[in-house]
Order: sequence, then C-alpha cells, then structure tokens
Amino acid sequence: MFYRRAGIRHTRYEDERQLFPLTFDRVLIIAILVLLLSAPFWVERLYLVGYMVPWLIWSGAALGLNLLMGGAGQIHLGYGAVIGIGAYTSVHLVRFGVPLELAMIAGGLMSALIGSIFGAAALRVKGIYLAMATLAMQYIVDFFTQTKIISGGSLATLQVPPVSFLGISLKGDVATYYFCFGVTFLIALYMLNIRRTSFGRALAAVREKDYAAQILGVSTYRYKLLAFWVSSFIGGVVGSVLAVAYLRAISPDQFHLELSVQLLAMVIVGGLGSVLGPFLGAALILFAPIVLNNALGAAASAFGTDIPIDLRAHMPLLAYGLMIVLFLLYEPLGLAKIYDNFRKYLLVWPFRHAQK
Amino acid sequence: MSTSPTMMPTPQKPIVLTCHDIERSFGGLKALKGVSLNVHEGEIFGLVGPNGSGKTTLVNVVTGFYPPNQGTITLFGENITHIEPHQIARRGIARTFQNLALFKGMSVLDNILIGRHIHMHPSALGSFFYWWGAQKEELANRRIVEEIIEFMQLQDIRDEPVEAVPLGLQKRVELARALVAEPRFLILDEPMAGMNQEEKEYIARFILDAREERGVTILIIEHHMDVVTAICDRIVVLSYGEIIAEGEPRQAISQPQVIKAYIGERAAQRQMKGAAI
Repeated sequence: MFYRRAGIRHTRYEDERQLFPLTFDRVLIIAILVLLLSAPFWVERLYLVGYMVPWLIWSGAALGLNLLMGGAGQIHLGYGAVIGIGAYTSVHLVRFGVPLELAMIAGGLMSALIGSIFGAAALRVKGIYLAMATLAMQYIVDFFTQTKIISGGSLATLQVPPVSFLGISLKGDVATYYFCFGVTFLIALYMLNIRRTSFGRALAAVREKDYAAQILGVSTYRYKLLAFWVSSFIGGVVGSVLAVAYLRAISPDQFHLELSVQLLAMVIVGGLGSVLGPFLGAALILFAPIVLNNALGAAASAFGTDIPIDLRAHMPLLAYGLMIVLFLLYEPLGLAKIYDNFRKYLLVWPFRHAQK
Repeated sequence: MSTSPTMMPTPQKPIVLTCHDIERSFGGLKALKGVSLNVHEGEIFGLVGPNGSGKTTLVNVVTGFYPPNQGTITLFGENITHIEPHQIARRGIARTFQNLALFKGMSVLDNILIGRHIHMHPSALGSFFYWWGAQKEELANRRIVEEIIEFMQLQDIRDEPVEAVPLGLQKRVELARALVAEPRFLILDEPMAGMNQEEKEYIARFILDAREERGVTILIIEHHMDVVTAICDRIVVLSYGEIIAEGEPRQAISQPQVIKAYIGERAAQRQMKGAAI
C-alpha cells in the first residue's frame, strides 16, 4: 500500500544495493531520525535521561551481540562481561586523564582481545557447548572485576569524572543524549553495511553451513574469530558509553549474568540477524516491565483491590519470562519479523496471493 | 584394471588432477582402497558406481574435507594432499554438494555473490567505511555475478529468498555459485539428483556450455547413465572403494564386472546370456 514497488526501476547496481531501495522506507527512516534528533526539544528531561538514553545504549549493545548471534550464528552468554571489560577499562583510563575518545577505543580493544580469547572456544565447540564456554567467561570475568585492583571490591563503586567528547562536555542531559544517539547510529549503520558486503556474507555462510563456506574459500576459523572480535569491540565501546553517559558510577554487580541474559532476551525477542530487531527488543525488555507495573497499579486502584507490593514487583518478571517463551514458540525471528511480515503484506496489498 | 584401446581420446592434454593410491577409512570401514586416476584438461570426467561405493568420499578427499590415510593428490602439478578446504578453493577448485548446501535466509543473488569470496577482500573496516571501502569491489564483482546469472538463466529469481525457489532451480543456483568463483576445475556431486527429464537436460546443457565457454574441466558424479554416456568423455566406475572399470563411458558401463556390481551376479549372468543370444 504505502510501500510502493511499482515504478521503481533501478538502472545502476549502486542504486539497487543502497540501504533502502524503496522510497517509502527512506522517508520512514528519515522521519524516525528527525524524531530522534529533535527528541530533546519535545521529550521531557526525565524521560530523555531515564528512558531514551538507556534505550539507545542497550540497543547498541544488542546490535553488537546480534552481529555475533544473528550474523555469525555463535551463541554468547557472557556479553555482559564483555561490556563490563569495556566499561572498567575506559573508566580507569579516563580517571588517569586519558581523553574519552581514546579511552572508548581502548575499552573496545580490551573487550575485543579478551572476548576473542574466550571466543576461540568457538573454533572447537558449537551450540550449547559454546554457550557453556561463554558462560565460563562471564564467571571468570566477574571474579576478576570483583578484585580490589580493578573495581575496589565487590561492593565498591567507581566514580566517573566529568568527561567531554570532541570538546563538548557530557555533563548536560542533551549532550549526553546526542552522544549516545551518535554512537548507536554509527553501530546501526555499520550493521546495515555489513549485511551488504562480502564480510557479512562470509559470516552468514559460516552461520548457515560451515562446510559449504569452507569450499567457497571462507576460513571458518578466521570468520568465527573475527565475529567475536568485532562484536566484542562494539560491546566494549558500548560499555564505556554506558559507564560515562548513563551509569556515571560503576560497580561489578552491574555487569553480571543478569545483564547478559537481558541482552540475549533483547536479541531474541527483537529478531536474530535483523538490524531493526535490537531496537525493538531493547524497547520491549526495558519498558515492558515499567508499563506492566504501572498498568497493574492502575488496575488495582481502579478495581479497589490491593495487590501486595511483592507481587507487583514480581509480575513484570513473570510476564517477561512468558514473553520470551511465547516468542520462541510463535515467532522465533522476533518483533522485526512481525514488522517484516506486515511490510511484505502491504508491499503486495491488495493481492494476497503474491505474498512471499 | 582394464585397459581399453579407445580409453583416451586426447592423451596429449595436460593433467589437471591426479589421485595416486588414495586410501581412506572410517573406523573399520575402508571407504577407498588405493584409488588412482588422472583427469585431463578440458575433460568431462564421470565418476559412477553403486551407492556406498566411495564416490562422494573420493570427492571429499580431493577437496580436503577428509584427508586421505594414504596416497597423494596433485592439482595442476601441486601437491594438495593435506591442505584445508578453504585453501584448496583458492587453487581453482569449486564444487557442488549432493544434498544442496545453499545458505538459507539469503537471496539467490547473495548466495551467488558468496561464490566470489576468494576474489574479494572482505574486511570489517571496509564494511564500516562502505562508501569509501567495500562499495567499489562489491559493484565490480556484481557485474561478474550478473554474467553468470544470465548464463544460468536465473534473472527472474535473483531477489527471491533461496529457500523459496524450487529444487531444480536451487541446484542451478548452486552450480552458478560454483561457477562465479571462476574455477579451472569443477566438481559436481550428483547435480541432477531428483530432477525431471527437462531439468536434467537443462543442467546437462549448462555443464557442456561451462566447458565450451569457460574452459572448465569437470568431474561429475552421476547416477543417470543416459546423462553419463551422453556428456562424459571418460568415466571411472567405483565399487566398494575400488576402481572396477574405466574408459569410454559406453564401454566401461557394459563390462560384466560393472553390471555385476550394479545388479548382482545372477542377474548379470542372465543379462549376459540374453546378450549372447
């Protein structure tokens, strides 16, 4: 309907391979970008800092994990630890007086290095065994971040000094928002570009059938390791953004298994291998508990019943678990696939039979 | 080993692939027992034999998936016996698989583009700086891919998800993926399995065209004897991991030991009697 394909005739390969070949998609993405860029002018400060900033950061992290899981088909249960490594590395460097730009890259490199060492397990094992190997990474990294030398102890918090990025102080809410937006925008653009280049195709080949990839000249060792390297690098950079732009004081318990599982849920609920997915998944996982909690409270006061406070606290978690189970059962490719189905329906509307 | 007089029509052509005394076993099962063969340039070389005779094992040995327990493989004069499959691909071999090995979730076009992998320079940074990095190479390789798409007549399914096209076309997509790598030696593992007569004829035509227009030497595993006798220059018949006949296709498959391997001793005797009368 809106997504008209009729009349669009690409005459050059670069036009056909552009990120959004359909005009409607381009208009839609520009509208969303304009909305996001103007958010500080129409969204309340509380919501901007409390909702938009974490949504952008978590989307960036989920994009990084999705490159590994959806792009290269390697499961990772310790992505929270990867983010933690990036956060601690960059915060320590910033406290030493290193500029944030360099500290972010250093955080990314440190995550990439340690992430790839554990990712090397992927060269030997697949599936649930790789899940165990990456889970081991989570616990080993947790152990080290609890030491005095790195975090100051399991209960200690590390303050982040005021920082600036490219000469702009990140003290204010608006600057922080634009900083997070920029980083996530770049990551998303990178993911879109990976999908249309030989690098992304090689990863997908390793994901689908590694023996067929081998005989086409794709070294599965090399590309599995590269997937871990790039994905962990992104995790490390997002970790440093998370630390300086959102948390502003970090402690080891922020990067435990819970974060890893949450990111895993974002990727699965959002849609494996999709670029839109992590944004939708992050939004759902972050905001569904809040919305549910409020709805429950509103319902309770409307009906005049009293819901015990502990039940109110646990209901969102219950719903969260149920949601993941339902997604795995009914739409394993997540929210992005639901959007894709809807889009495809509109593409051929009103001719249902042409649906693919 | 039989030595028929009309065995090689072109003995002066250089040798592409030599397998010398290949042995490979899986546990106690000896899948290949000292197989030796030569494939000459420009040939369509058939590999036939009953099920479980070791044809696919031999191909897997040549392409590096199962390193041989004994023997040497020489490709274009270079010993490739213990080389990884992804390195063998860079030496000019491409192959297709018996059970399709296409990459699901990608379009037909992307599946064929992967075939260009060895001619491209994939890098994480090149993808990040797409417009200044990977784009030029992508478009240049796209042109070559489009040539093959036209050659294989896949224009109208280019943008379809690969799992949505029918089996006959999927086989063709896989052949296209092998051809875009511009191999000098192509191995086809049962390219016509499960196809109807028309689709078989199409594929046979593509195989002959690939040799004529692209100068590819082809090793083909095939069960359809009509196809084998029609397009192969020479064949080797395997049975229980041993070569039992070789030479010109019609002669090789009519030899008694071949008939015996296919339909059993008594049936073979009956047939020989029938032929005598």
